Amino acid sequence: MAIKLIGFAQSPTTRRVVLVLNELGIPYELESVTEIQTIKTEEFITKKHPFGKVPVLCDGDHVVNESRAICRYLVSKYQKDSKTVLYPDDVHKASLVEQYISYELSYFDPPLSKVLYQEIYAKRRGEPTDEAVVKQSLEELSKTLDIYEKILKDKDYLNGEYSLADLFHLPCAHIVYNATGHSDIFDSRPRVKNWLDKLRERDAYKKTYAE
Amino acid sequence: MTIRLIGYAFSGPVLRVIICLKELGLPYELEPPASYQSLKDEDYIANKHPFGKMPVLFDGGFRITESRPICRYLVSKYQGKHNDTILIPNDVHNAGLVDQFISYELSYYDPPISKLFYQEKVAKRFLNEDPDPEIIKQAREELAKVLDVYEKLLEGKEYLNGEYSLADLVHCPSTYYVYGIVTTHSGLWDSRPNVKNWWNRVYNRDVIKKSLEESKSFWENNENI
Repeated sequence: MAIKLIGFAQSPTTRRVVLVLNELGIPYELESVTEIQTIKTEEFITKKHPFGKVPVLCDGDHVVNESRAICRYLVSKYQKDSKTVLYPDDVHKASLVEQYISYELSYFDPPLSKVLYQEIYAKRRGEPTDEAVVKQSLEELSKTLDIYEKILKDKDYLNGEYSLADLFHLPCAHIVYNATGHSDIFDSRPRVKNWLDKLRERDAYKKTYAE
Repeated sequence: MTIRLIGYAFSGPVLRVIICLKELGLPYELEPPASYQSLKDEDYIANKHPFGKMPVLFDGGFRITESRPICRYLVSKYQGKHNDTILIPNDVHNAGLVDQFISYELSYYDPPISKLFYQEKVAKRFLNEDPDPEIIKQAREELAKVLDVYEKLLEGKEYLNGEYSLADLVHCPSTYYVYGIVTTHSGLWDSRPNVKNWWNRVYNRDVIKKSLEESKSFWENNENI
């Protein structure tokens, strides 16, 4: 039985999982959600995601949700069948990958999500863009990227070798490059630019965003 | 060589790691920083945490930051070595679900609780700001909705994934800070039978009760840091 992924096809959280599926060469079916009401029904909430969110992954009878948890699950079950290593076996290296995943969650994603909300999603909802929030979020993101610039000294990837930690940053970074006027926030920092360029050269990235 | 943990024992994320160390039966030394200001020193940023935060853990020459990754590291290296406590199951499906519940804590549970604790305790004490009743009201409503979901999740279960795990542990500091220290909002848990029983069960684990109560005295007695 093929793996089924339920989600909004173009949302960064769904794409995070698609990137992992493509990196590990795992076949899957995407059940594209077109109306938000479908994920708020009692049945969806009981059987798929108690908070009425996507993505959700169904692997046979096993249902798992939350994009980063889904990604870790796919790696722990299927990485051994793939040549690509997203999560090292060595306990110390694996822990540092987790640390960088936490940096993404704590310091990269929050300000970036605010910018993307104001500049893209708010507009779609007919809400005005709050420029003060955009300005403050870009300042916060700049400080984070200054730290990333140091972390990436003498390294192509956050933990030296490509890992799940780098991949998690890609979906929102992609939107910045493709749908906002702020790509200079990455490109003005040589190591950050080098890092993101390398991530966007990967076959799995090209495959994910060609769809 | 003993594990070194840098941080203040009353800080939520540091407490999360302390509980994990104790659950796994691991000895450690706690090194409080000189002051909150010292976390922004160049030396701290270069050698401890690039974002100037706590906790930081040193295990011999190995350094790791961020409380949940630190807990995962301790489990993957030491689980089963000093005692029988299982915080992350070996089975890939169950481990995946524990991970999912840890994500719920991060995504849905912690944000409204953090807002409540900030308004009720931190703002006045550390920043001389008055609590904002509008934020408190909105955070309470958000937390109530989250706890409604937890009430269903815990139906027929003692812990989030059936058996006690890291998923339950990570909820401890923030829950205790609002439930046990601020107390004004403890009705949100107590009015939901499954949630109430779950919290009481988790809280009454020896290691947890002791660690949490030790942090209470800081918030009740000290005026300034």
